[in-house]
Formats: sequence, structure tokens, C-alpha cells
Amino acid sequence: MARRSPLNTAGPRYSDGAVRRHKPDHWLLVLSGLLMGFGLIVLYSISPGLSASQHVSQSYFVSKQLIDVALGIAAFAAAASMPLGFWPKSAKSLAVVALLCSALVMVMPVDQMYQAHRWIRLGGFSFQVAELIKLALLVGVAQFLAEQYRRDKIADFQSTLKPLIILLLVVAAIVAKLQSDLGSAGVIIAMMFLMAYVAGIPLKKVMMVGGIALVVAVLAISTSAYRRDRLATFLHPEKDCLTTGYQACQALISVGSGGVMGLGLGYSVQAYGYLPEAGNDSIFAIIAEKFGFIGTVIVIVVYGAIITRLKRIAEHTAGMFQKLIVAGVLAWLAVQMTINIGAMVGLLPLKGITLPLISQGGTSLIFLTAALGIVFQISRYTSYSLVEPAIDANETPTTNYSFDGRGLRRPRNAPLVTRPRA
Amino acid sequence: MAPSRPRGAAGPHRVSTNHRLRILYAAVILIMGIIVLRLFYLQIIRHDHYRQAALSDQLKQYTIAADRGIIYAHQGDNVVPLVLNQKLYTLYADPTLVNNPNASAAKLAAITNGDEGRYSQLLKTRPSRYQVLAKRLSENQKSKILALGLPGVGLQAQDYRVYPQGALAANLLGFVDDSGNGQYGIEQQFNNQLAGKQGMLKAITDVNGVPLAASRDNIQKNPVAGNNFVLTIDTAMEQQVQDILQAQLKKVGSKQGCVVVMDPNTGSIKAMASYPTYDPSKYYQVSDISAFNDLAVSDPIEVGSIMKTLTISTGLDKGVITTNSAYPDPGYVNIDGATIKNVLPIPENPVTIKDVMRDSLNTGAIHVFKLLGGGQYDQQGRDILHDYLVNHFQLGKPTGVEQPGEGAGGIPNPDQGSALNLQYANTSFGQGMTATMLQMASAVSSVVNGGTYYQPHLVEKETGTNGSSDSFDTKIVKRNVVKPSTAAGLRDLMEYVYDSNYAIYSSQLHPGYNVGGKTGTAQVAINGGYSKTDFNATFVGFVGGDKPQYVVAVMVKDPYTFESEGAQAAAPIFGKITNMLINDFNVLPTSH
Repeated sequence: MARRSPLNTAGPRYSDGAVRRHKPDHWLLVLSGLLMGFGLIVLYSISPGLSASQHVSQSYFVSKQLIDVALGIAAFAAAASMPLGFWPKSAKSLAVVALLCSALVMVMPVDQMYQAHRWIRLGGFSFQVAELIKLALLVGVAQFLAEQYRRDKIADFQSTLKPLIILLLVVAAIVAKLQSDLGSAGVIIAMMFLMAYVAGIPLKKVMMVGGIALVVAVLAISTSAYRRDRLATFLHPEKDCLTTGYQACQALISVGSGGVMGLGLGYSVQAYGYLPEAGNDSIFAIIAEKFGFIGTVIVIVVYGAIITRLKRIAEHTAGMFQKLIVAGVLAWLAVQMTINIGAMVGLLPLKGITLPLISQGGTSLIFLTAALGIVFQISRYTSYSLVEPAIDANETPTTNYSFDGRGLRRPRNAPLVTRPRA
Repeated sequence: MAPSRPRGAAGPHRVSTNHRLRILYAAVILIMGIIVLRLFYLQIIRHDHYRQAALSDQLKQYTIAADRGIIYAHQGDNVVPLVLNQKLYTLYADPTLVNNPNASAAKLAAITNGDEGRYSQLLKTRPSRYQVLAKRLSENQKSKILALGLPGVGLQAQDYRVYPQGALAANLLGFVDDSGNGQYGIEQQFNNQLAGKQGMLKAITDVNGVPLAASRDNIQKNPVAGNNFVLTIDTAMEQQVQDILQAQLKKVGSKQGCVVVMDPNTGSIKAMASYPTYDPSKYYQVSDISAFNDLAVSDPIEVGSIMKTLTISTGLDKGVITTNSAYPDPGYVNIDGATIKNVLPIPENPVTIKDVMRDSLNTGAIHVFKLLGGGQYDQQGRDILHDYLVNHFQLGKPTGVEQPGEGAGGIPNPDQGSALNLQYANTSFGQGMTATMLQMASAVSSVVNGGTYYQPHLVEKETGTNGSSDSFDTKIVKRNVVKPSTAAGLRDLMEYVYDSNYAIYSSQLHPGYNVGGKTGTAQVAINGGYSKTDFNATFVGFVGGDKPQYVVAVMVKDPYTFESEGAQAAAPIFGKITNMLINDFNVLPTSH
């Protein structure tokens, strides 16, 4: 095959050479399934409390979440069945769709609960645009950075960093300002930042991007009264438990009252109206109340296991695009989990973002499972025969290497040692 | 680790992506470690703190109201309830949940006959979560309101007292306020026994306070219903006495008055009426709280000449006079520089004790006081009179009847003070001392029944919910108050007074029955002296056959009529009550 461009490669190309299509990383499936199933169980057990406070039938939340989980599995399956080449190609169209949705959401009526343009609601279906933006940026930034890498422009300010910074500001403006969703903006920016870091942008420049992100965050917080409140609440917890600090306090009470073993599956009390967003953003605190320290540690260990699998896949995947996709998903999952749990245990201010894979909330679940689906596909093309199958520093783009793994025969200078499978 | 470019080497910038990936991974694992440490701190080290915080929010204590005891009274041979309980409903709203205040207010007001404007105002008072719109709604109104299905509107059941006999005996019953506390009367006196023991539910609840079934920490203690009481009162008698009192007060233009009818042989109070009165089911509409008082118990007054019954009993008992004694009376007495006269002229000298009673001669009572002192006004006379009034007739101290706020009255100290002889001379005919009508009825009872002072009482029986019942046995406070001969003497004298004066009392003779009485007219003390225009009229008497069956004490405050008030204002009440007792309440005629 003469063509080398990775953008129009198709599946079979991966089957030649050292990296054959092999069994995917089923652990990814098992661990994600565990968290989703666990989320369903928790949601089911707190349904009486949730439905009483929101005046809907007891089966409302579970049946809604069942549909969401089914959609999530479908998204996973769909993403996992796409050939890897599909994603770089679709980066542009994804970005266009995300932009269109961002425009559309602005003309939708303001959400009653949050006073923000975050959701596109059509009939009974609601769709959170920021989640689509996350996926679009995951693919887009991975593609862009991989391309820059291939062109060896990764350290170049004009061609790599500047577009990234502009992109970052645009995202901040759209998600944090227009959609008033600082939490999601934070996750997206952290994800981009970490992808840039993994892509090998010089640390100094990474720091510069980080500095800009920090300035944006400070601006975002200082210009919004309720964000200032949330920050003040965070800095002085338990001071204002009845008003602005109510959710933070109730979250701490839920977590702390769980103890070692927890109150038991059916015995959560905080879900009966005390803790806001009990099935959603605050579900970790409910898990802590029900299952205690043992339960929370198990949940974190499962997250840790997924992240370890992701790291392992990223390490052993062949091309820069794939590596960045996996690293991006890792960052997505880790940052979102950290922000959510951090807020529940009082280490971070409250942000309205979900606990990945467990929280009720369809959009977040579907896009994350889609991203995991992509990783699942990538995991079919990892190579464990080499310590570091990926790009070597001495390897120049002029060699027959391409980041899609096409040129992944043994690099010239790679040691001939194999490492036992981790 | 892959070989990486030596620092400072020239060439395109390339760093190991996997190296950075591992740093990222390590950072994530580190953060997870920090979260686990934090969880350890919160869930294990600080567990007790947060568990307490959780319980202080979640664990709520509810009281479960106990049924309040029922109060019964006699109706002939039957026992009938005077006070029952009824569930009524309080209409409240959570304004934050009401979505159409004006329309809701209109619908609610139509059912409750309430003020629509006020309702809509209340329904708009955000951010309040609780506004009471109306109280005491009936079951019927409740179901109508529930049928409206208005959001944010609720009804709460509360027990209220209902009075099957209407406002009967309100002053001795008292009422129960909105917080469930007995006020005045029996309701206050036996509040604890009537209230029973509240039950308690300590439960983990949802944020709205609804107990969660699936909680292991719930504690429930069932309420214990209050005890029931049976009063000595006869409802029919009470009703008639009340009517007679009110009619007479209206006739003589008095604003306050009271009547006690008691059984002198047991101390049971058969009827006790007080005016002004009120409807206990609408106690909250009463503007003048003096209407709540039970005057026969709470209002000691200078009793006036009905006191002569006790002074003369003392004289008879000490043997210084007999019912036939006579003495010369100039019609006035000078003591301690003051001159005391009579209202009526001296009939003819020598004056007899019968004359003293019949014409209510103050000089006659002072004469007895003088005889008690051995013929002079002195310490001995004061001591004897004081001893009889306080230790025999139990004046100057509360009787212990089952009513709150009982007045003790007062008898002058025989040893201390100025013009003691004048004070005691006044006391001998009912001035310068105070007593309640219940004290007077009990004291006179203790003489006419032959000399036993029974504790006056209103409660016959207290029944607990567990079936235990406590009869309030007749309690003797003092035996041998007077000799039987004294008792007979006083009865004769009082009968003589009645028989001589029944016409003035607008009453009639009752052949075959023994009826005796004594009027009183007391000057009212104001500003350290006595009012020239205000008098209180009193009467004490008995009705019976061979032995007195009822003793009646009457008080009419400040009637329009002048002088001789006792006869004209209070005595007709006694007369009518006597008729009523003989006609309707089984007074046994004399056997000979």
C-alpha cells in the first residue's frame, strides 16, 4: 500500500506487521460494567427517597437509568466497532456538530433549576452539550497533537501551542461562560492539558497553558456570585450548613456517617431529601453512607483498576493518536472522578459534574462509554512484545514510521528485551 | 524506560510519551491515595462526629398525644359526660408549594367561612413554610378541602374538648387551651391526670420529618390515656342553679354572683354556679378573663351577717348563751372609740338571741363576743372566737376543694394589731374578715350536720385507663366542731329566721320540711374605709327534713338595691333553690 496518511487508513492495515489485531482488553468492559451495575443498584435502593422528594413514581429513576445504561452500552459497542481510522477522519465533523449544538443550546429555554443553557431538551430526552464537546475535543485534540507530532512541530509555539491556547479559550468561553458549566469546562481543559502534556509539549509551555487555564478559572470564579459562594463554602465548611454550605455539609455527613461498614444497602437516610442530587452528583456520598469505608475504597480501587488498564493500553499502543486518545480518556475519567469525589469528601469545592459511570445522568454516561468504546477498539492493537513500542525520540518522521502503527516493526534502537505482561 | 534524549542535546524536541504517561498515572494514583486517606479520616476517625451530626438532623422525636380524660357528672342516678373529646382539623399551608394563592384562598374560604383576603395574604407569605389558615374545622370541612386537591395545603388533626351540656358548669370545669393545657377549674387542677402520658416516637425521618419505616433506630412509646373523673355535681341542679342565679343577678342589676349547693353530710358539692360565665368551647372569644373565675372558691369577701350563724354557734357551744337567752340592748355599742349600730331598730328589750338572728342585730353578735370574753371585750373573747372560726369552722385557710386559685380568706389575728376588740366586734357580724362562699357553706354545714367538718369536694371518682379507680372518699377534716346541742340550736335559730322572713325572701313556707337561713349584707371596703353605696348581699341556709340535706350559700355583688341587700338581693335565690330542691331533688320530709 502506497498511501501513508493515517487519516484514511482502514482496519486491515493494522493487521499486518507486528501489531496484529488481537483480543481487546476485556477488563475494561468488566470494570466499566461493574461500576454501571453498581450505580444501578445504588440508584434502585434510593429510589423511594428520590421519588418522594421529586413526586415521581418509584420506578422512574431506575427505568430511566436502565435506558441510559442500555444507550451507554450501545454507544460503547458502536464506538468499539468503528475502525480506528474512522476517528481521525471524523474529528472535524464532530467539532462541527459540537459547535452547532452549542449554538442550538443557546436558543433553548433556560433550564429552570440551574438558570443556564446546558441542556437541549426534546420531549423526554435531554442532552448535555458539554459532554459532546468533551468527546469532540478528545478526538480533535488527539488528532491535532498527533499530526503536530508527526510533523515534529509539537514544541512549536506558533503551530501547536497557539491553536491549543485559542481552543482552550474558546472552550472556556462556550462551556464555562455561555453554558455556565465550570465543572465540565474544568474537566475538558484538564483533559486537553494532560493530553498536551503526554504528547510531549515542553514542560515550560505546558505550564504556560496551565497558567492560562488558572487565570481563566480565577476569572470564571470571581465573576460569578454563586461560584464565589461555593468557593467560600469550600474554604469554610460547616460554617454555613443551612444555606450555601448545605450540600457540602450534608455530603460530609453522609460520608462520615457511613463508618467502616456503612449503614447497609437499604438504610441510607441522606437520600431521603437531606442530600441534594443524591442520585446524581452526590451519589458517591450515598455510596459512602451505605457501604462505609470498605465500599468507598472498593469503588476507588475499581476506578484505579480502569485507570491502570487505560495506562497500560496507552503505554502499549502503537500510534500517537491512539496513545493520546487513551491518555485523554484516562484524564477525562480521572479528573472527573477526582473533582466529584474531592467535592464529596470536602477536598475540593462543589462542581456540578457526575461520578463517571455510576451517577444517574444519561449524556455523561453515553459519551464516556463511547470514549471507552474507542479505547476498547484501540486495545485490540496493543503490542506487549516491546518495552516501548511507540515513538522513540531518535526516530524522525522521515523514517517509515507513522503514528498509526503502520511502521511499527521493531525500531532500530529498541532493546530486544521483552517484558513480562503486567 | 525507553532511552531518552540526553539533556541539552540538539535536535527536534522529543520526550518519551510513556514517561509522561507514567507520571500522569502516578499523579492520579497519588490523588486516589489522598482521597482514600481522606475517606479514612472522615469515615473512621471522624465517624462518631458525623454520625451524631446525621442523627441530629435525621432523628426526630414526636409526641403522640394521649386522649384526654373525660369528665362526668351526675344526672339523677346516671352519670353523664360533661366534657368529651373531638378531633378537629387545623388547616395549614406551605406557601412555597402553593401555586395559585388567590384561587386557592377563594376555594378554601368558601368551605371554612373564612376571610378570603386574609387567606390569600397568608398563602403568599413566602418564604414561610407553614401558615395556619383556620382551626377547628370539622370532619366534613376537612374532606371537602382534601377533595379540592390544592397543592401546598394540608390538614392536621387535633383533639378538642366538646361540651355536650353546653356552657354548663364552665366556671368549675375550666377549659383546655390550644396547646392542650387545662386552664382554670377541674381541667387545670387535674391537668396531669386528665392529660395522661404522651407517647413518643423517636424515628429517623426524611427531610420533611416523615418517619422512615426502614430504620433500626426507631423507638416508640405508646401514649397512656388520661384518667376520667366523675364529679359530685348534678347536672340538672347545676343548670337550674345557674339559671336562678343569672335571673336574679339581672333583676337586681348585679354583675357578679355565685351559689354553692352542698351536701352537709358529706361535703359533696352538688352545684356550684358563678357569674359572669362563658362557653368553654369558645373560651378564646372571652375578652374579660374574670369570667373564667369560680367566684365561690376564688373570691373571699367580707361576708356580712351570715357570719352571725358562726358567732352564735360559738356562743352556744361555749355555753355563754342559749337559743332563748335575752339581754338588754341599747341599740349601739361603743368599742375602741367607735360606735356600731344596727340597720333595723331594736324590737323591744330585753332582746333575745332569736331577735338577733331574725333582725340581724350587729349589737347582738357583739354581745355574744362580749360574753365569750367573760363580759368584756378582751383577749379571751378574741381567742375563743378566733379558735372557733379558724380551728373549728376552718376559716382563714383554703378548704382544699379541687379547684385552682382557691382564696384563703382571713380572720384577724387576735393578738396583734390595733383596735383588736373593735376588729373582733366587726368580725362577729362578718366585717373586717373575709371568706369565700364555699368556706361559709362548709362551715355552716359543719354546724348544722351535728358537728362534723367535711372537706368540701367536687370529685367523686377518678378512673384510670387500666381500670383502676380511685374513689374520693368523704374526708372528715374535724369532728366535734360543735356539740350536737349547738347544732340543734343553730338549726332552730335559722329555721326561725326563715319562718319569720320568708315573705321578704320572696319565698314560701315548706310544711313538712325544715328550712333555715340567714341573710348577710356586707359593706364593701374601698380605699381603707367602707363604701357608702356598694354592698354585697349574701345568704346561707339549709334545706332538709329530720336533718339538713343541702346547705346553700349565695353571694350577689353590688346589687342596685339599698340596705337590707341580703334579704332583697340574695335571699330570693335561696328561696327559689329551696323550692327546686324540695320539688326535684328528693329532700326527705320530717318524720313527725
